[in-house]
Amino acid sequence: MTQQFNLQTEQQNQLPHQTAVTVTDLDLYYGSTRALQEINMVIPEKQVTAFIGPSGCGKSTLLRCFNRLNDLIEICRIEGQILLNGRDIYADNVDVAELRREVGIVFQKPNPFPKSIYENVAYGLRIQGMNKRRELDDTVEWALKGAALWDEVKDRLNDSAFGLSGGQQQRLVIARAIAVQPKCILLDEPCSALDPISTLKVEELIAELKSQYTIIMVTHNMQQAARVSDYTAFMYMGELIEFGDTDQVFTKPRLKKTEDYITGRYG
Amino acid sequence: MNSAPQAGPAQIAARSDNFHRWRSRKDFLAKRIIGLGGLVVIAAVLLILFYLLYVVTPLFLSASMSQTAIGSNPDWAEKASVFLSIEEQQQVALRIDQGGTAEFFSVDDLGTIESIVLSEDGQAVATVANDQGDSGLVAVAFESGQVKLLQHHYKTDFSAGIEQRTIKPSLDFPYGKDTRELMPDGGISGLALSDSESELVLAAAGTGGRVRVEWSEKQENFLSGEITLETSVKSLNVDFEITAISISDDHRWLYLGDGDGRVHFIKTAGMQEIQVLQVSNAGISSMNMLLGGISLLAGDANGRITQLFPVRGEDNEYSLEIIRRFEGKQGPIERIIPEQRRKGFISVDTSGKLVIYHSTAARLVLQHQLAGGLPSALALAPRASGLLAINRDGSADFMVIDNEHPEVSFSSLWSKVWYENYSQPEYIWQSSASNNNFEPKFSLTPLAFGTLKAALYAMLFALPLALAGAAFTAYFMSPALRRLVKPTIEIMAALPTVILGFLAGLWFAPFLEENLAGVFTLMLVVPSGLLLFAWFWTRAEWAIKDYVKEGWEPVLLLPVLVLLAALSIELAGPLQYLFFDGDLRTWLNREAGISYDQRNAMVVGCAMGFAVIPTIFSIAEDAIYGVPKSLSDGSLALGATPWQTMVRVVLPTASPGMFSAVMIGLGRAVGETMIVLMATGNTPIMDWNLFEGMRTLAANIAVEMPESAMNSSHYRILFLAALVLFMFTFVVNTGAELIRQRLREKYSSL
Repeated sequence: MTQQFNLQTEQQNQLPHQTAVTVTDLDLYYGSTRALQEINMVIPEKQVTAFIGPSGCGKSTLLRCFNRLNDLIEICRIEGQILLNGRDIYADNVDVAELRREVGIVFQKPNPFPKSIYENVAYGLRIQGMNKRRELDDTVEWALKGAALWDEVKDRLNDSAFGLSGGQQQRLVIARAIAVQPKCILLDEPCSALDPISTLKVEELIAELKSQYTIIMVTHNMQQAARVSDYTAFMYMGELIEFGDTDQVFTKPRLKKTEDYITGRYG
Repeated sequence: MNSAPQAGPAQIAARSDNFHRWRSRKDFLAKRIIGLGGLVVIAAVLLILFYLLYVVTPLFLSASMSQTAIGSNPDWAEKASVFLSIEEQQQVALRIDQGGTAEFFSVDDLGTIESIVLSEDGQAVATVANDQGDSGLVAVAFESGQVKLLQHHYKTDFSAGIEQRTIKPSLDFPYGKDTRELMPDGGISGLALSDSESELVLAAAGTGGRVRVEWSEKQENFLSGEITLETSVKSLNVDFEITAISISDDHRWLYLGDGDGRVHFIKTAGMQEIQVLQVSNAGISSMNMLLGGISLLAGDANGRITQLFPVRGEDNEYSLEIIRRFEGKQGPIERIIPEQRRKGFISVDTSGKLVIYHSTAARLVLQHQLAGGLPSALALAPRASGLLAINRDGSADFMVIDNEHPEVSFSSLWSKVWYENYSQPEYIWQSSASNNNFEPKFSLTPLAFGTLKAALYAMLFALPLALAGAAFTAYFMSPALRRLVKPTIEIMAALPTVILGFLAGLWFAPFLEENLAGVFTLMLVVPSGLLLFAWFWTRAEWAIKDYVKEGWEPVLLLPVLVLLAALSIELAGPLQYLFFDGDLRTWLNREAGISYDQRNAMVVGCAMGFAVIPTIFSIAEDAIYGVPKSLSDGSLALGATPWQTMVRVVLPTASPGMFSAVMIGLGRAVGETMIVLMATGNTPIMDWNLFEGMRTLAANIAVEMPESAMNSSHYRILFLAALVLFMFTFVVNTGAELIRQRLREKYSSL
């Protein structure tokens, strides 16, 4: 623990960027099982941070803490503190819906709503009470362009979103997420259900998006983490083992465990 | 023993042959059995449909008639027949000839059975009239103006063995053998006779516009049982030539037809003409009363028949109204013969063209050209299944009529019909009554209306509760509570509807009658009270909140609910005093003119709503619960509140399932029998009033099927009602399925 704490302070000093998320002493329990232990980390703003680690290590659980989606699981309980831009997101007076607007999430499997392409992107705006056609049109176009999908769908905005391919659906979901202008986008294995070409497109998109958004992604794909991310966190058995600059983590990991995982000795 | 089985590829290969065979056989068998099951279900439904159609079809088959010549009697050509009657078994007939001889003869061979001379002094018969129905009373008027009354009876005798049925006719004179002087100077042109339990009335029309009505009050000697008549005569002179005369069965009205197509409506009490109605532009050539003696049928020289009856107006005065007309493309109507058991009649024109009509159904049933032209006498068998004609050349024809269901037509089933004794056309279902002259009223419209009304009120009660409950249970409730609530509501579906109906009719209906204001207060107080409590719950900082886990809040509402319900019942009394002068029911009746039946649509709506709630709830809940979590998570992750997520994502995605839940509930409400039977009062009225009852198609079938005669029109119309119900549910379900498919296409996800 002391080791990690040192790590964190060390990083804080090293980080050349502003801080987006600060996690302090985070414990998470499913019933009596402790799924996350003593997580401490500082995530930089407008950078891509990747969480890697074997299945069941708690990466997705940690990711879902950032927009309080774990609240929906009845037996889930959280101790510790998460600050988003200096604000405690688990404080009593936090509007969860507003928090979730600021922290968008994209899941592993594309989950477009059973609506048209247009309505999918406009959904987040409509629930904010925005109903003016002009504003909606502009924002939808902007978001679709932002997700690099505009050229492919501009002629069929009113078709069902289910008519899109998996990769297009995933980019649609990203467009839907950026349409509400979040500060931070969480990506939970965004490419694991996609073919290599779609994966490439999404990765290119992530690289573009990081100029405007803080991006935190979970991935099983080591190469992807190496390609896309600026910072990498390695988790194992509910603990944060190592967190640092991606180049450093992949080329000269500080810890033996990290090296073993990265080189494929287990996972 | 260490014979541990050696696992390995060899063993699997060894049993694979048999295994594969067995597996494919099982597969084959399962496929066939399941396929067979499906086919049996479809076949069963089709069989039901075909059976219904099989029973209903005869209603719509057209009538038929076949004519056979029996033979000829040379004597009959000389002395023309003026009256003919045939008895029920169609074996013996009575004929009266112009010479004044009555003769019973066998229909088979025209052989004379008995012959009675009626006129002692050889007077010729001028005209003959008979009484309505089965009494067999006949009045014979002679040219001198004298009238003789006689009655013919038939006794069925099986003394020669069960196969040997003999009919023994007899003729007697119930009002004495003497002739009575009706038209003293002779020249009698028309005669009408009506006999009732207290009075015997004879009306005669004579040349020169003379009308004489002989009024005989019957007085029964209570010791000997002998009837004596106290006779008085009323007379009237009119300034037109009377072509036809009829008298109503209640003896209040006398009808005279004239050569200018007018019917004169005369009140017998003062023998005063109260109305002249221009019925036709051609002369009235023949008139008769329809069975029951209420409706007058007036046939004119243009071959048209008009049905008329007196209608009581607003001022309690009667006026004669033209009810409907029958056009059979006939020549001048020569004779109109009413059926003796139904509201049908036969008309014959001067060329011998015969048409069968039915009055209630406003229907031309059959047309037939008599082979021998206009017969000199014509008799319709009591069951209207045979017709005997004696032609002018002395030959006789017998016609078998197959006309089982003349009373059914589209208009008599679905349109407004002007029934006898009603002041205007109406939709009425009244299939039977105490007397035989009754006009059956087979309008399915009030029943279809009642079915829809009951279903509508039931859905009004059930839909909000079931759908809102389903949405809450599936989306907001904690899983542990849901595991408790869902089976509990589903078990409600297992409650036999007869128990629900019983409770609704015997407990809830009287309760509602007593506490009408209380129940309405409840409807206002409980929802608003619950909302208020919920609002306080979210706002207030109560210590108890820590003990209530998320999704368990509804349990808290239970005591509040009971409290509010008790409060509303208590509150009803004072509220009634404040706003409704003490009693809501009387106030409604007085101020709004809304009448209140104890068993009404509200009782049925609640009881049947209770019965359909579990069905709707269960299916809708499954549909909402089945919406993938990724969708609701996706919506929540975009910053939507749980409510927004439910309304904008979850409910639209679940809409196909919810829609079929509603449709299945509606189907159940439409076909439900026991509850409506016990809680509606079963009055077939057409009124949307919440506080009045109704009769549904299903309940009507249940009530009347046991008492309807097999294969009668009534029986078949009940089957038709079943077919209508079947078609209705079929159409609703098919439409619902189509809509559901479209919705599913639109919202099919994942």
